[in-house]
Amino acid sequence: MAADLLYEIGVEEIPADMVLPALEQLEQALGQGLERLRLGHGKICTYGTPRRLAVLVEGVDERQEDVVEEIKGPPAQAAFDADGNPIQAARGFAQSRGVELAALEVRRTDKGEFVFARVSQPGKAAAEVLPDLLKAATENLTFRKTMCWAEPGFRFARPLRWVVALLAGEVLDLTIAGVRGGRVTRGHRMLGGSSIEIATPDKYLELLEANGVIADHRRRREAIVAQATELAAAQGYRPRIDPEVLTEVNFLVEYPVCIMGGFSAEYLKVPEEVVVTVLQGHQKALPVEDESGNLVPHFIAVTNADPEAADTVRRGWEKVIVPRLDDGQFYYEQDVRTPLPERRDELKRVTFMGKLGSLHDKTERLVALVGWLAEQLADITEQDARAARRAAELAKCDQVTMMVRDGKLGEALEGIIGGYYARACGESAEVATALAEQYQPRQPGDPVPVSPAGRLLSLADKIDNLAAAFCLGQVPTGSADPYALRRQTAAIIEIATQSDYHFPLSGLIERALELLPEPEQTGGVLSAGEAADELKAFFAERLQAAWEQRGIGYDICRAVLTAPWDEIADAAARADFLASLRESQPEAFAELANAAERPARIARPEAIPDVAEVDAGLFQHPTETRLAEEFAAVQEQVEAIMTDESPDFGRAAELMAALLPTIHQYFEDVMVMVEDEALCRNRLTLLRRIDELFLRLADFLEIVPAAE
Amino acid sequence: MNFQQLIKTLDEYWIGHGCHISQPYDVEMGAGTMAPDTFLRSLGPEPWNVVYVQPSRRPTDGRYGENPYRMQRYFQYQVIMKPAPDEVQDIYLGSLAALGIDLGQHDIRFVEDDWEAPTLAAAGVGWEVWLDGMEITQFTYFQQVGGLPCRTVAVELTYGPERLAMYVQGVDDYRQLDWSDQIKYGEIRYEEERQFSRYNFDVANTEMLWQLFDMYEAEVYACLENNLALAAYDYVLKCSHAFNLLDSRGALSVTERGTMILRIRKLACRVAEQYLAQREELGFPLLAD
Repeated sequence: MAADLLYEIGVEEIPADMVLPALEQLEQALGQGLERLRLGHGKICTYGTPRRLAVLVEGVDERQEDVVEEIKGPPAQAAFDADGNPIQAARGFAQSRGVELAALEVRRTDKGEFVFARVSQPGKAAAEVLPDLLKAATENLTFRKTMCWAEPGFRFARPLRWVVALLAGEVLDLTIAGVRGGRVTRGHRMLGGSSIEIATPDKYLELLEANGVIADHRRRREAIVAQATELAAAQGYRPRIDPEVLTEVNFLVEYPVCIMGGFSAEYLKVPEEVVVTVLQGHQKALPVEDESGNLVPHFIAVTNADPEAADTVRRGWEKVIVPRLDDGQFYYEQDVRTPLPERRDELKRVTFMGKLGSLHDKTERLVALVGWLAEQLADITEQDARAARRAAELAKCDQVTMMVRDGKLGEALEGIIGGYYARACGESAEVATALAEQYQPRQPGDPVPVSPAGRLLSLADKIDNLAAAFCLGQVPTGSADPYALRRQTAAIIEIATQSDYHFPLSGLIERALELLPEPEQTGGVLSAGEAADELKAFFAERLQAAWEQRGIGYDICRAVLTAPWDEIADAAARADFLASLRESQPEAFAELANAAERPARIARPEAIPDVAEVDAGLFQHPTETRLAEEFAAVQEQVEAIMTDESPDFGRAAELMAALLPTIHQYFEDVMVMVEDEALCRNRLTLLRRIDELFLRLADFLEIVPAAE
Repeated sequence: MNFQQLIKTLDEYWIGHGCHISQPYDVEMGAGTMAPDTFLRSLGPEPWNVVYVQPSRRPTDGRYGENPYRMQRYFQYQVIMKPAPDEVQDIYLGSLAALGIDLGQHDIRFVEDDWEAPTLAAAGVGWEVWLDGMEITQFTYFQQVGGLPCRTVAVELTYGPERLAMYVQGVDDYRQLDWSDQIKYGEIRYEEERQFSRYNFDVANTEMLWQLFDMYEAEVYACLENNLALAAYDYVLKCSHAFNLLDSRGALSVTERGTMILRIRKLACRVAEQYLAQREELGFPLLAD
């Protein structure tokens, strides 16, 4: 027999971005929990609105499967006497497991004969075991921020007000945060009943819908898109739907009703981003565009109100949106009156971070940093470098404009609006673009800057922030990362990798730290040396995270990052290469790792010093000579490959792996750790040179061998 | 419904839900939260249910009376209920209905907005309440006040009565609001906005304000030494207002601003600690046995 399970957590309006992650966690916890409880089941489906997190599981077994567990006891020899009669050990074991002596069985294992007991565990009723599972799944939910209200010690995203827990028609017995599970849910605040009894789980969705709630967020999302498209199409337009905004508005409503409002076309004279930010940012409304993608003076609001009230609601929304557009227009018109370069002086009055000087000081560091980067990078033209330096000078001027100082608008528009203001006062297109792109990628998945000057400026801005924060000892720990340093490091990695920019990271870090004021002046807690080491380690940690996210094995990441590395793009290329080699040619990969391993293991401990040059005169065995000769040839070719602009790692790996037979033979024929010190040092030195060559690719001691 | 009827209606509504009407506190402050009725009373386990109108002074928000929405002195209608009742959202919605807003004909939303007051070391979790897209109330469950975690959680509702009245009366400028049937908001307050904007932005003696700030700060410590948390708190408020005036005069660099916020915050935390200790010493008299 199987029964449907309905579990609904009723909450006060939970923040929009918290719903989906919570549903995913619930689905996973229930799936795994049911399996652990040996309860077969059908489909698991989750539903979420601002006021409810719900799970429906079809066809849950009404009883756990019975199991017979086989428990290994003492060795047969110790349990029975010579005549095969049970002695103390057998009795004790049978008693402790609650089985009859006669029911003990002797079975052969690969470690000899042992006594086994078969213990049967009858399954319990689902209704008996489910409450603990549901309770744990709820209490273990994590949110980016939690609160407490009445129940001491219980934290949740928002106050939890009701719980529905039904197995078929029966209420499950559980209490969470002082709220008892039942069969009563609540409808839409305005359009539904406040106390709705659910007879059986299968009635859940239709009952809610009858009470003004579309619980299925997928359906709501479709409805929003369909309504918005239809409203706009009626006037020959289309909604401009940002997927993130769509997700947000979807989880702000239980019953979506789109309305289209309008505003004066005058407001479209400001940069488009200003209008879009006003509409999407604070008011969470969708912009509307014509068929060529130009904004039109309309917006679509996704409301949670009775469709009959649409006219009143629309008038209200228009009244709110117009003053905000008005603010945006006012700021823009005021701001463009002052040419951007004239604002540089004002930056002297704005502090940067702690006691690290003003924003004006920061722009001077940015000029130096983009200059340094441009020198390192072969494909940066003089024109790009000039644009980057000018953009660096002007980079922070928009911070003192009215637009950016208006908190919410500013956060979304910094940089972008600076680009407009630069263009308005006659700066070149390259400079304006670089200014607009300097914060990109703003979040994971965002595009990196397109223009070379934009890339340089973005790199410089971020390394300066990192260096400054590390100097002050503001190193991210756990979930505390107030300056979003992890995100900024990831952005540097993205830009370097995607643009294939090869620059020495330690050089960049050193330069960035050097440009900051002395720690004595700033009250910094780390010396430049310490900050440089910590920063480099931080980059390694973030590289590992970024690569793992791309599906590169943990051990390969470690292998590349424990070997010497200093260029992000180069290290990334090696990690990519090794991952794809292991994927496509596992044997070749294993040979390479194998060849690297033995020299590394024996040569790494540094107790015995090197000789300056391996002395062929000390070779005693022909294999020694052979290995030295083969290695010399491989070394020369690999070094040549590695100095290429885009090295052919495949060829290098092939060459190195080809040393494997000789390396094997060497360890058959030659004893390395001999008493004669000169001999021993000579042999170790050869192996160390070999190890160093492999380290040009990675440290293969970090590789976890594939399971047999 | 005129402005004074609106306030009267809210008063009656909240009396019906067990609140007592306090009166505005008589020291200048930037928000209703800063009144002792909220800041101090939300500390500790004692129940507390109060409503009051608090004139709020935000010197930098002044627009010489000319902006239809912005004023340097306006009102906040403040409700505190501790502990927060389970059904407080519904009770709140009931207050809108009491104002004659037909909830079925509007789009009401609770949109995440976690309130934070750095000068008071206070923070909470909650929403801004939207009425057809317009923010009409800040709704907060206190989590920390004066640096102390809230074990008994108070809920704070802060209404913007001018905005609500503009909505209810259908006017687009505060000056046009009917304060009563006889007199308009602007007729009572426009001249005050004009003069104070000029004072706040152009005239206030910054030299004097710096001195006052230091003197007020010293007075907080003197009061604390005499175990007079309530008197000390008055001077925290005075520090805060002096700071706001310095800010509106443009006399603070970004760094100074940060430093002064920290100074006030420290005072607020010290007062909160002493106040709570005093209540405890008194045996938390408002706790039912």
